[in-house]
Amino acid sequence: MKKFDYLEALSRLEQIAAKVEDPATGLPEIEGYLKESSELVEACRKYLRSLREGWEKAEESL
Amino acid sequence: MPGPDFLPQEVKPLALSELQDRIQEGVESACPGKLWVQAEIASVSTKANGHCYLDLVEHDGATVLARAKAVIWSSRYRLLRPYLLEALGGELQAGMQILSRVQVSYSGIYSLTLVIDEIEPRFTLGAAELERRRTLEKLEKEGLLDAQQALALPDLPYALAVISARTAAGYGDFVRHLEGNAYGFAFGVELFEATMQGEAAPQSIADALQRVETSDKPFDAVLILRGGGSAGDLSCFDDYGLCFAIATCPLPVFTAIGHERDHHIADRVALRAVKTPTALADEFIEAFAAEDEHLLAMLSQLRLSALSRLSAEEQRVRGLEERIAASNPRNVLERGYSLVTDGKGVVLKRAEGISEGDEIEVLFRDGRLKCLVKTKI
Repeated sequence: MKKFDYLEALSRLEQIAAKVEDPATGLPEIEGYLKESSELVEACRKYLRSLREGWEKAEESL
Repeated sequence: MPGPDFLPQEVKPLALSELQDRIQEGVESACPGKLWVQAEIASVSTKANGHCYLDLVEHDGATVLARAKAVIWSSRYRLLRPYLLEALGGELQAGMQILSRVQVSYSGIYSLTLVIDEIEPRFTLGAAELERRRTLEKLEKEGLLDAQQALALPDLPYALAVISARTAAGYGDFVRHLEGNAYGFAFGVELFEATMQGEAAPQSIADALQRVETSDKPFDAVLILRGGGSAGDLSCFDDYGLCFAIATCPLPVFTAIGHERDHHIADRVALRAVKTPTALADEFIEAFAAEDEHLLAMLSQLRLSALSRLSAEEQRVRGLEERIAASNPRNVLERGYSLVTDGKGVVLKRAEGISEGDEIEVLFRDGRLKCLVKTKI
């Protein structure tokens, strides 16, 4: 499994937003983009939560 | 007393006692009363019977010009000693300049003795102060008074070479205070033992400094500890040789000699002098505490910056999520409108391009219709 890359995920979300905003994008494609964006957003949130928890633990150990 | 046959008739040898009687008469006639005499004490010792015996000398540089035995009888020394202890801040000791009132005594058995019945402490104090000033002037001329100030002390001095007596209370106080610091900082302390008072102290301390300098271990600083004492006990810290050794030491030297009112030339030439060994321990602990505080402040700043960045990232993700959701054409269906798309699902926004007979799709919230364009109006 490929390691999660936050910056890459953000870049992909930017691309998806542009695609969804593009009038030429068909609804079936938009459905797919929405599903992908939900997964990416969730992964980004999970990653940021893990960072926050890691910092808090490191701080407690000081 | 008839002389031996081989001596001329007119030569009449004296018995030793006769010779000494003559010397005694000469001495007593030359020095009939008590005299005040200036001299340096070369050595001093008090016997079990309470008599105090001294060797007095007079120097001209390294040349001894005169030497004489002296004694303070116990009956007099019992009274004189407490007075001198109070006035001089310590016992009579070698190297001290004294002005004493003496009765010159000569006996056939004990030879010449100066019987001391009075010592003027103001002379001794003045001589000590004079010597102190000479030492200061000499060190200044040699450019050594502030030589230590040119040395840089590491920001966090860890490896400390301590010169002290192992059993000295000051050394114990220092180690206890340093090792028991509330922050839990660790220090590397190594003791270089030395005699810390009296005649042998200057050379002993200078030797210890030499051992520190030639040690395989790299030390950050040298600490000379002496936890208080009388002025007499501490006078060795005005010794030129010791002060020279401190001033020329390539490592930063700290002193903690005696209490507040004591200030010695050794303190003057050291990089830094504090009043007590405990106060010196505090200096090192505080250096680490300040750095620790600095680190914590940096960490706190870093934490705030990181949290701020994290919040910004969370906001960025939320923004993208909202942007994508807001652009979804299906949102209009939720509001009760319908969408018209072409055969590929692309939303049609204009009638232009649609011809009669084309198939289009109409989407509602609850379903969709496939439609055929009957008439274009």
